[in-house]
Amino acid sequence: MSWYRSAWFRWIVAVVVIVVLAVLPLVADPFANQIIAKIATFAVAVLGLNVVMGYAGQVSLGQIFFVGLGAYAAAAVILSDWGKALGFGGIVIAFVLAVAVPGVAGLLVGLAAARLRGLAIAMVTIALPLVGVPLAKRFSDLTGGAQGESVRFSKAPAWSGLYDDQWQYYVCVVIAAVVFALVFFLVRGKYGRAFAIVKSNEHVAGAMGVSPYRTKVLAMTVAAMVGGVAGFLFLVVNQYTSPDTMGFGHSIELVISTIVGGAGSIVGSIIGGVYYVLLPLLANQISQATGYNTQNVIEGVVILLALFLLPGGLASLPRVIRRLARRRRGHRVAGGTAAAPTNPNTK
Amino acid sequence: MTVATFIQLIVEGLGTGAVYAALALAIVLVNQATGIVNFAQGGMAVLSAYIALVLVNLFAPATGTAAALVLAIILAAAISFVLGALVERLIIRRFEGGDPDTAVVATIGLLTLITGICGIVWSYNYLPFPWFFSTGDAFRVGGVTISWWALTSILVIVIVMVLLQLLFRGTKLGLALRAVADNPQSAALSGLRVGGLLMIGWGFAAVLGSIAGAIVAPKLQLAPNMLEEALVYALAAVIIGGLDSPIGAVVAAFGVSVLENLAAVYLATIPGTSIPFIGHDLKIVVPFVLLFLVLVIRPQGLFGRKSVVRV
Repeated sequence: MSWYRSAWFRWIVAVVVIVVLAVLPLVADPFANQIIAKIATFAVAVLGLNVVMGYAGQVSLGQIFFVGLGAYAAAAVILSDWGKALGFGGIVIAFVLAVAVPGVAGLLVGLAAARLRGLAIAMVTIALPLVGVPLAKRFSDLTGGAQGESVRFSKAPAWSGLYDDQWQYYVCVVIAAVVFALVFFLVRGKYGRAFAIVKSNEHVAGAMGVSPYRTKVLAMTVAAMVGGVAGFLFLVVNQYTSPDTMGFGHSIELVISTIVGGAGSIVGSIIGGVYYVLLPLLANQISQATGYNTQNVIEGVVILLALFLLPGGLASLPRVIRRLARRRRGHRVAGGTAAAPTNPNTK
Repeated sequence: MTVATFIQLIVEGLGTGAVYAALALAIVLVNQATGIVNFAQGGMAVLSAYIALVLVNLFAPATGTAAALVLAIILAAAISFVLGALVERLIIRRFEGGDPDTAVVATIGLLTLITGICGIVWSYNYLPFPWFFSTGDAFRVGGVTISWWALTSILVIVIVMVLLQLLFRGTKLGLALRAVADNPQSAALSGLRVGGLLMIGWGFAAVLGSIAGAIVAPKLQLAPNMLEEALVYALAAVIIGGLDSPIGAVVAAFGVSVLENLAAVYLATIPGTSIPFIGHDLKIVVPFVLLFLVLVIRPQGLFGRKSVVRV
C-alpha cells in the first residue's frame, strides 16, 4: 500500500482542491474565471458522453446535440413572458427543462438506436447535429434562428457582492461538482455494474439478467440529461446560444476530448473538459502563427496518437507510468517477484 | 404539381442517390470485411476529389478538359486504392478484432485528420470542380426535364456496381475477398493472405468513395466537409438496408434520396394547409425518420439477416 493511495491522502487532496477552487475566482482575472467556468461546463458535457461511451461502451456522436438542446430549452423559458415574470423561479424551471427536454430526446433516440446491436448508436447519433442545426434554424420563434439569441440572466445578484464572472464561475463549478458527484455514485452502484457488463459482453449481460437494451437506453438517457445540464451551464457562461453550439465539428471534438481525457474515468472527464476548452485556444495561436487553420489536423493527430499509445487516455497515465516502473524494477531483480503483467484494457 | 415534376423529382433523387449509394456500398464492403464502420469514408472520398482536381489542372493545358477529367478521375481512383490499403495497414489493422467502438473512434480521428489536411492544403473555401458539361444542363423528354448530371451519375454508379458484382462473383480475387469477409480464420487456414486481402478490400472501398467524390464535386463544389451530409445519408441507408446487405444499402440509398426529394416538394407545407412542414431546409429529417421507423419495425434492416449468436 503506497502512501498516495491511502484514504487520508485522498481527503487532503480533496480539501486542497475545494479550497483552491473556492478562493481562485476572488484572485484570478475575469478571463481565467471564464475559462474555468467553460471547462466546468464542458467537463459536464464530456462526463455525460462518458456515461454512454466510457462506462456503457456505446459510441455516441451526438452528445453536442443534447448540450445545444438543453441550452435552447433553458433560453426559451428564460426569454418567455412567464419565465421573466417568475424571476428566480423561472430560472429553476429553465434548469429543470434543460435537463428534462434533452433527457426525453435521449430516451427516444436510445429506444430506437439501441435496438440494433453493435455500432447503430454511433451511426444514428452522428445524424443528430446535422438534423439539429436546420431544426434550430427553422423554429426561429423559439431559438432565434440562424443568428441565435442572447440570454442575459446570469448577472451576479447584489447580495453576493461578486462580479459577474465570479458569480458565473461559482454557479458553473458548484453545479458541475454536484453532477460529478451524482454520476460518480451512479457508475459506482448497481447501474454502473450493469453498464460495465453490457460494455464487456452483451450476451453475458443478458444471461445474467441484465437487459442490454434497457441498460443502453438508460445510459443514453442519462448522458443526454447530463448533456442538458452542460447546455444550461453553457448559457450561464456565454449568455448566448445559436445553432453553431450544436455543430457537427463540436460533436466530434467532444468524442475526442472523452478519449483523450480517459474513457470510463471521472478524472478523465475533467481532463477532457480542459482539453475541449484549451485545445482550440492553442490551435488558434498556432494557426495565427503559421497562417493555416490547424485545429482539425491537431485534433486528428492527437486522437490517433491517444488510441495508439494511451488508449486509457491521460487519466490512465499515472497507472501506465507505475506499471512501466514496476516492470523495470522487475528486470533489475531478475527472477524476483515481478508482478504478473496486468493490462486493465484487456477485454 | 404535374406528373412531369413528379418524374423529374424522382430522376434528380436517383442522381443524388447514386452518390449516397456508392458511399453506402463502400461502408458495407468495409464492414463486411473488417467489422468496422468507416466514418472516414466520406473524408477519404473528398481527399481523392482534391487529388483529381490537382491532376485535372495539371493535364488540362495539354489534353483539354474532358480528356484531363477522365485521366484525372482514373488516376485519383488508383491513388485512392493505394491510400485506402495503406490506411487499413497502418491505422485500422491495429483496431481489427478488438472493440469495434474503439475502431469507430479511430475512423472519426481519421476523418478529422483528413478534413484538416484538406483544409490546410486547399483551404476551407469552396473550389469549383470542372465537369464535362455544366451541371445545370438538361434535356427534355415529353415535358420532363432531366439533368445530364443526374443521368451520368446514375449511369456511372450502375456500371461501377455491375463491375464490382463481376469482380466479387466471377473472379478468384473476388472469391478470396468474400472468403475473408465471411470468416477470416478459416480463410487464413486455407492459405489466403488475410492481411493483404483486407488491404485490397479497403482499397476497393476507397475507389468507390473516390468515384462518388468525383461525381458530387462538380455539383456541390469542392470543400473539406463536402460529404459530411452524404455520409449521414449513406449511414442511414446502410442501417435501413441492413449492415450486411450490399443490395439493401444501394436500394435504400436510392429510396431515401428519392423520398426526401419528393417530401421536400410535396410536404413543403402540411397537406391542405399553408403551415410550413418539411421543405428543402429540413429534408435531412426524412432519412432520419425512415431510419427510426426501420429500427423500430425491423432492426436488422429491410434486407438484413437477423444474426443469431451462440454464447
